[in-house]
Amino acid sequence: MFSTVLIANRGEIARRVARTCREMGIRSVGVYSTADHDPRLLRHFDQAVHIGPASARHSYRDIPAIIEAALQTGSDAIHPGYGFLAEDPDFAEVCADAGLAFIGPAPGLLAALGDKSVARALMRQAGLPLLPGGVEPVSSAAQAAGLAAGIGYPVIVKAVAGGGGKGMEVVSAPADLAPAFERAGAAARSVFGDGRLYLERYLSPARHVEVQVLCDGYGNAVHLGTRDCSVQRRHQKLLEEGPAPGLSPATTAAMGAAAVRAAREIGYSGVGTFEFLVGEDECFYFMEVNARIQVEHPVTEAITGIDLIREQIRLAAGQQLGVCQDNVALRGVAVECRVNGEDPDRGFVPTAGLLERFEPPGGPFTRVDTHAYAGYPVSPHYDSLIAKVVVWAPDRESALNRMDRALAEFEIGGAGVKTTIPFLQRVLADSEFRKATHSTVLVDRLRAAAEETGYDRRARN
Amino acid sequence: MTQHRPPASPALAELREHTGWLARDLAGPLRRVSVQSGDMMIEVEWQPQDAAAAGPGRPAQEEPKSPEPAGTQPAGTQLVGTQPAGTQPAGRGAGGFIVISSPMVGTLYRAPSQDAAPFVEVGDAVEVGQTVAIVEAMKLFNPITAELPGIVAEVLAGDGEPVQFGQPLFRLTATSPDVAAEAAGTG
Repeated sequence: MFSTVLIANRGEIARRVARTCREMGIRSVGVYSTADHDPRLLRHFDQAVHIGPASARHSYRDIPAIIEAALQTGSDAIHPGYGFLAEDPDFAEVCADAGLAFIGPAPGLLAALGDKSVARALMRQAGLPLLPGGVEPVSSAAQAAGLAAGIGYPVIVKAVAGGGGKGMEVVSAPADLAPAFERAGAAARSVFGDGRLYLERYLSPARHVEVQVLCDGYGNAVHLGTRDCSVQRRHQKLLEEGPAPGLSPATTAAMGAAAVRAAREIGYSGVGTFEFLVGEDECFYFMEVNARIQVEHPVTEAITGIDLIREQIRLAAGQQLGVCQDNVALRGVAVECRVNGEDPDRGFVPTAGLLERFEPPGGPFTRVDTHAYAGYPVSPHYDSLIAKVVVWAPDRESALNRMDRALAEFEIGGAGVKTTIPFLQRVLADSEFRKATHSTVLVDRLRAAAEETGYDRRARN
Repeated sequence: MTQHRPPASPALAELREHTGWLARDLAGPLRRVSVQSGDMMIEVEWQPQDAAAAGPGRPAQEEPKSPEPAGTQPAGTQLVGTQPAGTQPAGRGAGGFIVISSPMVGTLYRAPSQDAAPFVEVGDAVEVGQTVAIVEAMKLFNPITAELPGIVAEVLAGDGEPVQFGQPLFRLTATSPDVAAEAAGTG
C-alpha cells in the first residue's frame, strides 16, 4: 500500500480524497494555487505544496509542477480527482516515468477512451449497443449528409475529442446539416485543437443513465448499480440519483452486465463509469466511458456502503477486488444535489464573490462534501461547484423529501453569489420528476416555464 | 509603536516596521496581522463584516485575507515595502527591498555546477538580467534572473533545497534610486 498520496486537485474532491487517505493511514499531500492559499483549505492535508498562480494552466494543470511536488514530498502515488489532469494520458505516462503510481487506468486506455471514435469502435467490438451512426470520423459535410440520410433525422454531430457538451450540434432536417457541420467543426478545432467530427442518431426524449464499475488488474470486475443523471443543462449534471428510477429491473441488470462485460473486454482497471442513453422503450445505447472518479460517486457509496476512493486507491496499489457481484447489495435510494455558485435565472452563469454565510445542512442520512466555509471566496478561476448534498432514504419519495429538507436548511449566501439551490428545489417539486417520468429535457422545460410566467425576471426588473 | 525593542534580526526589524505601517494604513478593522521571519511572510486578515462592506479600494470580491505579498502577482521579483498589489494605494515605507522568489516548484541550485562558486552571495551587487540561481524542474534547468538591480542582503533558501512556487529565494536592497523610491512607497 502507498505511504503518501499527492492529490493533484482542489476543492471538495481534494478534501474527499484526503479524508479516505486519513482513514487508510496514508499521508496526504495537497497542492494549491495562489488563489487557494488559505489555511482553512490546506488544513485537510498532512502537507501542502504551493504549485503555481491562480490560473489552472500554470497550477492544477501544470504537469511538471505536480510531479516536482510529488517528488519533493516523497509521494508514491498521485490521485488526480476529476477534471484537470484526471484523464490525461500524457500525465499518467509522466507519473509512471517518474516512478509514481497514477491512481487511474493505464495511459493507453485513457488515450483510447478519450478519443470518442476509438472508444465507439472498442465498445462495438465489446458488444455494447451503439446509437445508429458511424464509428469513423466524417470528413466532409457531403459525407455527413449521406450518412445522416442512412441514419435518419434527427442526428447529432459530435467532436471526436469532445466532452462537456462542446462542439455538439443537433440537426433535425437535411438542410441544416451542412452549416451545423461547419459550426461544430470550428468549435471542436478551437476548443479541443481537433476538428474531427462523427455523427449519430439523436435520441430524444431520453434518460442519461450510467453504470459504476470496479475492476482490478486480475480480470475481476463488478458493477455497483446505476445512477440517473437526466437532470442536466447543456450536458452539465445538476442532480443525480441511484438506482436509476422508472426502469425495469431487467433493464438495469442488462446494463450492469453489459458494462462489466465491456470493461473486462478492454482490460479496464480501477473505478470507471459507463454512460448510456436510455429511450422510452428502455433500449439503451453506449455513450462514453468516464475513466475517473466522478462528482456523483457518493450516490453509489450511499446505496452500496462501498468507499469508492478507498477501492480506487487499493486497486491502483495492485490489490485484488474485495467484492464479488453477489456481495454487492443495493439498499434504498440516494440523491445528490450540486450546489453551484451559479445564477439559474441568468442561464446558470457562474457568480463569484464572498460567501458571507455558509452553514451546510446535517441530520439523518445527510452528507455534505464541500471545501467551503463562511468567508470563502468563490473564485472565478475554477469550476462553480461549492458543495454536494447527498441524502439516503429507504425509498425514493422519502429521499426526495429528505433532500428538500436538507436544501431548505442550507444557509448560504453573500454579495453577488447566487446558487443553484432555488432551481434544485423546483426540480424536487416537479410532478414529472416526482413520478420519475422526466428526461434530459427537464431543465429546459422548467426554465422555459419560468420565463413564461415571469417567475425569474419579475423580481429583477 | 512608540516603544522600540531591539529586534532579533535586521530582516525581522524591517518586517516589523513595515507591518506597523501596513496596520496603520489599512482601511477597516483588522482582525489579525501576522509576520513571519525567515521566509518573510506578512499575513493580513480583516474583520469579516468589513469584507462585506466593500469600502473604497476594497472591491466586494476582494479576498478577506492577503496570504502573502507574492500572491497577488506572478512569482518573480517583488517590491516589498509597498502594499500588496490591488488592495490599497501604495503605503509609505523606507529602505524598500526587493524579494526574488521562485517562479516554479523545483530544486534550487545556487551555483552553475557542484564545484563552482555560487552565482551570488550576500553583499554582491546584482544587475538587471543577472542570473542569481537555477531552479530545476523535471530535469529542466531554469535560470532565475534579477528583474531589478540591488545588493544581496539575505539568501533565503539553501543550495539543493526543494522550493515551492512563490517561495522567496533572495532579499535585495534596492540600488537604483527609482526602484528604491518605489519600493519605499515615496515614488
